[in-house]
Amino acid sequence: MGIDLTLTEEQELIGRTANEFFEKNCPSSLVREYEATASDYPSELWTKMAELGWLGMPFPEACGGLGLGTLDMYPLLVEMGRHLVPCPYLDTVALAGELICSIGSESQKKTLLPGIAAGEIIVAPAIMEADGSYGPKGIQLQAQHTGSGFELTGAKTLVACAGAAQWLLCAARTDPNPADGISLFLVDPTTSGISMERTPNIAGYPLYAITFDSVSVPADAVVGETGSAWPSLYQAMMKAAVLQSAMVIGAGERVLEMTTNYAQEREQFGQAIGKYQAVQYLCTDIAIHYHQTSLLTLQAAWRIDAGESFLREAALAKASASRAAAAMTFAAHEVHAGVAFISDYDLQLYTRRAKHWEYNLGDLRYHLDRACAESGI
Amino acid sequence: MVDMRADDTPELQAWRQEVRDFLAEALPEPWTFWYDYDEDPESWERYLTFWRKVAEKRWVSLTWPKEYYGLGRSAIEKWILDEEFVAHDVPTYPVIGRQVSELLMRHGTHEQRLKHLKGIADVSVLWGEGYSEPGAGSDLAGLTTKAHRDGNEWVINGQKTLGTAAHVCQWMSVLARTDPDGPRHAGLSCFLVPLDTPGVEMLPLNNMADGRQNMTYFDDVRIPAENLVGDENQAWTQVWFGMGGDKLDNALPGTDPHTLRIIPLFARVLRYCQQTNRGGQRLADDPLIRQQLGELMVGVETLKVQAFENYSRAQTRKPGKFGAASSHLSAAFHKEFWPHLAQVCMEIVGPMAQLKGGRWAQLNGELEHYFRASFGNHAGGTSQLKRMVLATRGLGLPR
Ligand SMILES: Cc1cc2nc3c(=O)[nH]c(=O)nc-3n(C[C@H](O)[C@H](O)[C@H](O)COP(=O)(O)OP(=O)(O)OC[C@H]3O[C@@H](n4cnc5c(N)ncnc54)[C@H](O)[C@@H]3O)c2cc1C
Repeated sequence: MGIDLTLTEEQELIGRTANEFFEKNCPSSLVREYEATASDYPSELWTKMAELGWLGMPFPEACGGLGLGTLDMYPLLVEMGRHLVPCPYLDTVALAGELICSIGSESQKKTLLPGIAAGEIIVAPAIMEADGSYGPKGIQLQAQHTGSGFELTGAKTLVACAGAAQWLLCAARTDPNPADGISLFLVDPTTSGISMERTPNIAGYPLYAITFDSVSVPADAVVGETGSAWPSLYQAMMKAAVLQSAMVIGAGERVLEMTTNYAQEREQFGQAIGKYQAVQYLCTDIAIHYHQTSLLTLQAAWRIDAGESFLREAALAKASASRAAAAMTFAAHEVHAGVAFISDYDLQLYTRRAKHWEYNLGDLRYHLDRACAESGI
Repeated sequence: MVDMRADDTPELQAWRQEVRDFLAEALPEPWTFWYDYDEDPESWERYLTFWRKVAEKRWVSLTWPKEYYGLGRSAIEKWILDEEFVAHDVPTYPVIGRQVSELLMRHGTHEQRLKHLKGIADVSVLWGEGYSEPGAGSDLAGLTTKAHRDGNEWVINGQKTLGTAAHVCQWMSVLARTDPDGPRHAGLSCFLVPLDTPGVEMLPLNNMADGRQNMTYFDDVRIPAENLVGDENQAWTQVWFGMGGDKLDNALPGTDPHTLRIIPLFARVLRYCQQTNRGGQRLADDPLIRQQLGELMVGVETLKVQAFENYSRAQTRKPGKFGAASSHLSAAFHKEFWPHLAQVCMEIVGPMAQLKGGRWAQLNGELEHYFRASFGNHAGGTSQLKRMVLATRGLGLPR
């Protein structure tokens, strides 16, 4: 109906509910705690999110879901970004769940989706490898046909929450052809030949490197068609990238709020530092970066829901989000100067996670390239 | 006459070789350690052991007069030593002992020099900086820590914040207000305070790059009258601008050896790009990465030639291009370039750069740490302030 950028009443309500919920259930002390503990995510919080229906949002009702769209998830993800919720939502619900929904077999859907929606099953997508490429060329883990199934050999990196996962959703190469040779496998992480190592990182996230040494998986572990998973994987990653952008937006709103509050309270030379134009430029940098990201992200989310082509718009949104993630936290630190260098101050929690989000599901460079490619250039 | 080669005589070349030989023996392995961003006790021990070896050669005090534990050697020899130390990524001298020695040479009494320079020269006494306060950062002259004279003593009351590594220091150089009624800048004095004096307390402020800043409280801290350095109420011009500011030309925060350690770090990034493939292509062959590396190279080289400029100004005693504000130009450049370099290097190395260490990390996780440390670029004043001073004092724009 014409041009309208406002969310529906229901969508607004999801955002308000989520904000209040995380305000209460996910204070920054919890965020800090989960940087330091051995467990991958706060299961109590995850269960409560399941009870609110959030973990099944995009799944069909028959699979325990709510059958909602990307624009419905958008406000939830904004709030998850604002509150730095330390849970594998993007990984398990948005990426793995989406893939199982779109190309999984009936039996895979039946066994996994209700469990994900109920907060009982974590599926950790294992896509990236050590050379850090995002495209299909980056997937080099080999899957060899054997009599009864496949044998996987290689290594995956930056796998979130693998330590708590019941399943890995592993992208592997069944054919040397870069784009056509990719298959997805559901792998039980306790299978012999798999070893996992938690890799400490800037965000304090539970990211793992996983080595596969001749790991046997049965034939029915394949998700979708053997050898032709890339297009679906790519689409699902682009959708998840849109939701990752929504998280950047929520974080941006919070970072802006922290920064403008500080600029109003902090006085130097007898006046609020917010009166200095140098400081005003920095504050407006934050606003401009995350706001333009929010427009591009809304557009991409709308196109997904409207059934329009969305890959170009998703790439533009995530490119903007990756740039914003770095630029807005940089500007916030410039305004705060010394105080925010101290770990007790919450800004650094955002800064370090923003770095992960900048990379996650495609960095600036990758999405700029995709934006051109998806524009036919 | 323009000349950018430091060692143009056989004697100086021999000196450079002597420094290299020393480093080969005293620090045989390449070693990255930043005293301001590291709390590992073993690394600290190794670090101080190294610097005591430097001290045994009396190279900390290389250029100081012989009567003050120095060797009386020339500035160019010091320059060559610094150049070699930077080239070998040597962790720099701890905290602000060097600046304190500079201050004492300029404004200290003979007795103060005798008393304090030895501990700086032999690295037995570390000095912290107690200038900033919770309410006085950019506006340093707004500080409220007070000192009043009581007989033969000064009594200090107040609070200092963000003190780098102050918890490992034995002494601190403290700015305090001694004339509460005078104009803001004219009522400040500088004191040398032993940190074991009753009434001094310190609380940790852990920073986001694995180091520790400190909040230091002074509650009726009594120090002997002779611990006032320089003239009473003259600290603004004698100490603040004398140490990092614009009245005197000396090595400045923008271009000191600590800063110049960007050079070996960037060299490691270049080597990494030459040795690493992504998607079947060497990173260094990727045209986009070549552009990024080229841009960064301009910046790194700029820091180097700014160091030349500072040295040259100090030696020739000629004012800089922008007069009293010249040093603010290089400081502003550095403060902006540092986080930029960290960001772009992380972009080049890609998503694996977010890992901290271990076998999956790239460049041993060095960039991950360096990126976090780059948010400490405000030490010694923000880039906005440096630009403000450059604009008003250097370019003549209205205040
Ligand atoms: C890593 C680190 C180490 C440090 N070590 C020490 C130490 O050992 N000892 C010590 O005494 N201090 C130390 N400091 C403190 C340092 O000197 C101050 O952080 C610095 O001077 C800035 O002050 P501030 O942090 O209070 O920021 P503020 O002065 O509060 O500045 C906040 C913002 O306002 C802006 N602003 C302020 N005034 C103006 C103006 N007039 N025009 C335009 N913009 C303005 C600033 O640019 C900044 O963006 C350290 C700081 C850091 C980060």
